[in-house]
Amino acid sequence: MSFWQKLSGSTQSPPRVSLSEIVWSWLGSFLGIAAVAYINYKIFAGTDLVMLVGSFGASALLIYGANKSPFAQPRNLLGGHLLSAIIGVGTYQILPQHPWLAAPLAVATSIAAMHVTRTLHPPGGATALIAVMGDAKIHALGFFYVVMPVGVGAAIMLLIALVVNNIPKNRSYPQYWF
Amino acid sequence: MEKKPKDQNIKAPLSISDADIFAAMKDISGYLDITPADLKELYLAAYRHARERLTSSLKAKDIMTREVALVYPDTPLAQVAEIMAQRDIAGVPVVDTEGQVVGVISEKDFLGHMGSTEIKNFMGLVAQCLKEKGCKAMGIRGKTAADLMTSPAVTVGENTPIMELANIMKEKAINRLPVTDSRGRLVGIISRADILTSMYQNI
Repeated sequence: MSFWQKLSGSTQSPPRVSLSEIVWSWLGSFLGIAAVAYINYKIFAGTDLVMLVGSFGASALLIYGANKSPFAQPRNLLGGHLLSAIIGVGTYQILPQHPWLAAPLAVATSIAAMHVTRTLHPPGGATALIAVMGDAKIHALGFFYVVMPVGVGAAIMLLIALVVNNIPKNRSYPQYWF
Repeated sequence: MEKKPKDQNIKAPLSISDADIFAAMKDISGYLDITPADLKELYLAAYRHARERLTSSLKAKDIMTREVALVYPDTPLAQVAEIMAQRDIAGVPVVDTEGQVVGVISEKDFLGHMGSTEIKNFMGLVAQCLKEKGCKAMGIRGKTAADLMTSPAVTVGENTPIMELANIMKEKAINRLPVTDSRGRLVGIISRADILTSMYQNI
């Protein structure tokens, strides 16, 4: 195939899912994000603790909206977030003065690490990036960022996915644990 | 080692269309994180693996009929025809006294010797009988299997894979293959129907 042929694409986009699938995706995402957002804004209000990071929005899409995807399985969700968080924080601490370099290093390295460990979870890239560009509160967490919000938050969202995704007859989760 | 064909070149039994793949994706509830093109490629590759596994594991000895109706070179044609009629088969292997297959005699061999012009099938015979007052079986009366049989016979070994059996039948335009052991003795026979049945059961 020539370069231009490749550019024109070779297939169509997958079909739209059923209405019930959309409803359950909405419900799961709502409950999952509600849990971590409530802890973040209500329980942790006025403390230095964080429970909500932007990459959870992307995780919600996968574990509640595309729960059959390999990206959405527990191994990937937890492994991807934890690894990327470690790499993100480490990169920032090595290069705090050069965020323009720390950012791509953190993202690229976490993608490579997720590939190697078969824990590819796209939101992991965001988790690594947030560790570098995050606000002062995130930076102040240091490696605790890996435990919370990232580890605990992902675990809470996983628990909700395990419940919600197994209620409808034609849904089941996970496809595999590890 | 022979290079495997590229996945794109595999022929599925029914050529599967992009619309089929798309429809299948719609049948499965939940979002499938794959494009129709990838899914098709996967399907075809898996199909090739399954076909290789099944066709290399199924051999002549697994699908052949072991109770073979057979005749000898000196069997009179009347008796040959009777055997074929009784067993409701269209051909029988001809074996010598040691069990070696020396030929095959089929309906086609009979038809080929029964008319002034070459007859290829039953209706051809009917047409000639009706046009020419009476039938021409008398011409071969008194002859034996050896006079009409197709010889040498195309035979196969017991371990011939099913795909090769199908290819031989197609290329030689024959409907049955006598199966012989390592010494060339008849041990079974495979008809097109045997291949079809086993394919249906296993593939």
